[in-house]
Amino acid sequence: MTPLLAALFRDAINVSGKGRMLLILPLCLAIAIVYKAIRCEDLTRLPRTVPALWITIVIGMYAVGVALWVIFCIMA
Amino acid sequence: MVANRSSDDRTESVVRISMAGFLSWLVPGLGHIYLGDKKRGIIFLVTIATTFWGGVAIGGVRGTVNPQQRKAWFMAEVCAGGHALAAYGLHKAQPEGLTKRDPQTGEWPYVGHWLAVEIGIVYAAVAGLLNVLIILDALVRADSPHPQPVREVAAVESRSGKR
Repeated sequence: MTPLLAALFRDAINVSGKGRMLLILPLCLAIAIVYKAIRCEDLTRLPRTVPALWITIVIGMYAVGVALWVIFCIMA
Repeated sequence: MVANRSSDDRTESVVRISMAGFLSWLVPGLGHIYLGDKKRGIIFLVTIATTFWGGVAIGGVRGTVNPQQRKAWFMAEVCAGGHALAAYGLHKAQPEGLTKRDPQTGEWPYVGHWLAVEIGIVYAAVAGLLNVLIILDALVRADSPHPQPVREVAAVESRSGKR
C-alpha cells in the first residue's frame, strides 16, 4: 500500500482520452467552495450557492474552450 | 492608565492579525480556526489540501513542484504554505537523476506525460492562489473589532435574499 501511495505522488498519472476534460470539474468546485465560503457569512447557505457557482464556472470555461477551438479550426 | 490599555489593545490586535495571517499561510484554514471560525477553517483546510495534493497526485511531485524548471508556478504553489513546503521536501528527497537537468546533455529528466504534469501544476498553483484569498480574508476578520455585527448583517442579507 505504501509503495503504491508513494508511486502515486512521485509519478504523473496517465491522462488521456475524453476523460481528461472532466478534470476541470474538481478544480472549479474548489474555486466555488472557497469563494462562497469567503463571501457568505452564513455557512448554511453554502450547499445552495456553491453548486450554482460551480455550474456557472464550468459552463463558462467550456464555452471559452469551444470558442477557442472554433477559432483554431477556422484559422487552420 | 488609559494610554497603557490602548497600547496593550493595539499590541494584542497586531499579534492577532499577524498570527492569523501566518497560520493561514502555514496551514490553509488554520488562521480561521485560530480566530474561532472553526467551520469555515475546516472547509478551507479540506478544500485546499485536497486541491493541492490532488494536483501533486495527477502530475507527480517531480514535475509539479519544480522550482528549477517552473519558477513562476512554484511561487504560486508556495502560497499554499505547509503543503508546498512538504511537497518540495518530497521533491528534494527524490534521487538527483530524476529531478535535475543532465549536466552533459542539458536535458530535463522525463517526469511524466506533459498533459498530466501541466494539469497537476495548475491544480497546485490554483490551490496556492486560493490560499492568498483565504489569508486576506483571515486578516480582515482578525482586524474586525466587532465580529458580531457582521453576523447580524449576514442574517439581514439572508432574510432579504441578497447574495
